[in-house]
Amino acid sequence: MAKRSLALQLDEVVQAMLVSLRPRPEEAPDPALADLSRVAEVLRELPRQEFRAALKSDLQRRASMSEGTATSKTATGEAPARAVHYMRPGLTSITPYVIVRPAAQFMEFLKNAFEGVERMRMPAPDGSIMHADVAIGNGAIEVSDGNEEYPTAPGAIHLYVDDPDATYARTLQAGATSFYAPTDDHPSGDRWGAVKDPFGNHWYIAKPRGWTPGPEGLRSVQPYLHLRDAQKMIPFLEAAFGAEAMGVHKSPDGLVLHATIRIGNATLEIDEAHGEFQPMPCHLHVYVPDTDAAYAQALGAGATSIETPRNAPYGDRAAGVKDAWGNSWFIATYLGQ
Amino acid sequence: MVTRRPARKRLAKGADEGVPGQVARGADERVLVEAAQADPAEFEVLYELHFERVYAFVASRVRDRATAEDLSSEVFHKGLANLPSYEWRGVPFAAWLLRIAANAIVDHAKRAARELPAPDDPPEPAVPFDLQGSKMRAIEHRAQLFRLVGQLPEVQKRVVYERFVEQRSIREIAQRLGKTEGAVKQLQLRALQNLRAQMEGGHG
Repeated sequence: MAKRSLALQLDEVVQAMLVSLRPRPEEAPDPALADLSRVAEVLRELPRQEFRAALKSDLQRRASMSEGTATSKTATGEAPARAVHYMRPGLTSITPYVIVRPAAQFMEFLKNAFEGVERMRMPAPDGSIMHADVAIGNGAIEVSDGNEEYPTAPGAIHLYVDDPDATYARTLQAGATSFYAPTDDHPSGDRWGAVKDPFGNHWYIAKPRGWTPGPEGLRSVQPYLHLRDAQKMIPFLEAAFGAEAMGVHKSPDGLVLHATIRIGNATLEIDEAHGEFQPMPCHLHVYVPDTDAAYAQALGAGATSIETPRNAPYGDRAAGVKDAWGNSWFIATYLGQ
Repeated sequence: MVTRRPARKRLAKGADEGVPGQVARGADERVLVEAAQADPAEFEVLYELHFERVYAFVASRVRDRATAEDLSSEVFHKGLANLPSYEWRGVPFAAWLLRIAANAIVDHAKRAARELPAPDDPPEPAVPFDLQGSKMRAIEHRAQLFRLVGQLPEVQKRVVYERFVEQRSIREIAQRLGKTEGAVKQLQLRALQNLRAQMEGGHG
């Protein structure tokens, strides 16, 4: 009984500390509580695990690049072939590349929750998934277990479905937790619900009502980026990928409440991070007519290089950059075959 | 069957591997620094050793998490870039990193002062920091506490991160963990008691 009351008292102190901007907790009469309050005070500054891991892999990448600079060559003389349409069949201009573990279980989730259809799966020698592709509606999600270089990075995805209530219920059955059930009160005017899956991805499940379909109709799968200084993402995407902002809603003080951005034949959405919807730096696969040009433009617009353009064995001209928000963009041009 | 927490354990693995608690002293640290100077990939070891220290130092001197992250990131990137110029003269590597951090904080304060002259907000300190004194002990204390969180039992660790980092309510955490609010408060209490006990153990 006494212990329980200490738990309650402690939480009152913690609650007061978290909601106020006061640097210090009130002096507690109980010395045990005072000790714990001081621990709590320090924990307010506890670094995010995701940040620690992301910075580490960032530094590893930097370190490996600085090793390679002496021998690396630019590929300026090598023009990419453009014999075929630049997008790999079955993919659009923008596809979320979700790296979570175990990827095989995530694929089961996609099948159970969203009626996803597995189109390909490439195992790595150790049995993990190097690369896989699951179609959902008229879009797709690419999946991998990742590795040191491409670490786990769940993301947020906006999914258009015919029956958001039924889909929402299936996600919960498949292990997701609810942010909120589908409601007609969402500012978009769509019927809209939100869940988090067991792998950390957010899913915004909606049926279109108010939203204007994007180029070539409505895409089932759209990456949704919650960003700090979201307004700066628009010029970056314009410069790097020739993107076009299709609808930008700003608050009176200039924060992006919502924006839809087109690249090629697909769209993604951004907003200013808020509440539970904080930045989740993720991986995105973007098909462009000229990988080398997009790569150079992205670096010019402030991105850092992950991978210089190369002809990948699977038939793409491929490169990788990381934007200022920590999102990785796998830039690709389909070369055929 | 989809389980609830498949990726968590592996995500947190880095934090669980060993306790890079103390600064490697003297010859040991010199070996690590020279290894990283010879092969930048070895910088990772130094990062693991010093991350909490640098972050604790920066976070105690800036107002928000985003700035703490930006500046911590800057410190390690500069550390990596300038590693070849670090000379071993008995100056601990930690002190060298914290000097970079102190400069980054001062630069940030100057930039902020130029961009946002807000009379109500006192500027962040733009004076050199005493990296030796009692303030350093406070930084070490914080850094050690951050490391110990990684050693908590999984569910306590999760409560700590959700409560203090993600700043979720007890009710929300209870829903997410499938527990009662009372149980979550108990877990919070136990986590903090564990941390306090281990801090005492470390000092005794």
